[in-house]
Amino acid sequence: MRVVFEDAEVTRERFMIRAAGSFAEGVHLVSGPVGSGKTTLALAATGLRTPKKGKIYMEGIGTFTLSQQFPEYHITGTTLNEEIASWGLKPDHILERTGFNGQGSRDPFSLARGELKRLHLACVLSGNWDLLVLDEPFSGLDCREKKRIAGEIATLKAGIVIIFTHEQTVFPRVDRLWELQEGFLRDLGPVPGSFPDWRGAPPLLRMLLEKGIVPRNLANEDLLEAVCRM
Amino acid sequence: MQDVRFRVFSTLLLSVATFVSIPGAVAALIWWLMAGGISTVKTSRYALIFIGIVGLVSLLVEISGGDGLSYFIRMSVILLIAFWAFAHQSPGEFMDLTVWAAGNKRGFELGLVAEVTLQAINSIRDDIDRIKVALTLKDRRSGIRGLLPAAFVLIITHLSRAEDQADLLVVRGYRNGGSWCPAFPKNTRDIAGGIGAILVLLVAFIPIRDIFILLL
Repeated sequence: MRVVFEDAEVTRERFMIRAAGSFAEGVHLVSGPVGSGKTTLALAATGLRTPKKGKIYMEGIGTFTLSQQFPEYHITGTTLNEEIASWGLKPDHILERTGFNGQGSRDPFSLARGELKRLHLACVLSGNWDLLVLDEPFSGLDCREKKRIAGEIATLKAGIVIIFTHEQTVFPRVDRLWELQEGFLRDLGPVPGSFPDWRGAPPLLRMLLEKGIVPRNLANEDLLEAVCRM
Repeated sequence: MQDVRFRVFSTLLLSVATFVSIPGAVAALIWWLMAGGISTVKTSRYALIFIGIVGLVSLLVEISGGDGLSYFIRMSVILLIAFWAFAHQSPGEFMDLTVWAAGNKRGFELGLVAEVTLQAINSIRDDIDRIKVALTLKDRRSGIRGLLPAAFVLIITHLSRAEDQADLLVVRGYRNGGSWCPAFPKNTRDIAGGIGAILVLLVAFIPIRDIFILLL
């Protein structure tokens, strides 16, 4: 299973991103500042944007989905029950997991954006996907919820998980790092060897690297363990 | 056309001319072509969709005994002019226009409403793209099953955005009216375009058939 970007050029209005590389099975983190083209690339990775030049193709992938940054665009049901069912899932289990037990007849638009994101991510993460692309999965969530989602991502059954984010505080354990720099997608390589090349590394990681300490991974417990080594 | 005053003035005259008669519509179409109208619809799939809908209505009018062809020509030209006017629009120019026409109180209010509306129209394009992505992922691309939730999401998100914008305006001290200094770019082509639009309106009202009979 893999997603291949073969010298691809993806455009959106006057904006262009060049990408070359292959996303194999595992969790990939694509980091980049706001406006660097993460959403455009996320759409391209799932085949929802055609590259202007080059090729983007999937190999051995049967099921895939994309979670967009703003969950309201995904709504197709008029109640929470209908919305959960639209993902092919049984409502009761998801309602219980997200803390909306007994509220299945509620209008999804009556939820706050953070609540809606929680529900949406619960639906997306419950599916069996060969490829799961998450565009800013942590935006609109509080710190506790971010940590919970990061933990859930680490235990996913999906074959390839690609996380596009500008997040700087909470991360799941990842296998490979990528970074969007000046319109290019750079494959930084496997974690933790790629940490020193990460230009937009979070402040805590940068501080640890400056002190010569390399954490095993990006999850909170890994960073905490590295801090204890100081 | 850079000056919004000439553009709105021309749009109004051309729309009236098109609506009044077929010769007016043809003259307006020639004006539209000379003003570079093709470039404003070439990349817009929405122009084709709207004209397609008009075509469908015209067909129904024709089948039910009305003059569907005349309706199709006139409505299509009106749509083309509307797309031309919209394509040249830039942020802040309706504020310039309304404050210039009606002053810093009523004009400012009208301009603010127009600017907020145009901002919402521009954001609809992005919203539709995102909704289409979500529907594709749920395999609900076509038909009423896709259209209804999409319309619902659009309405709700725009109402919610309007509420946020209203709150922001209040927080920033807006009550009514304001201060705005209108500025307009100077361009002789705008004046020529405006004069052309007046001529188109004259063509719409002149009984061309009578002229030809007199000449014969």
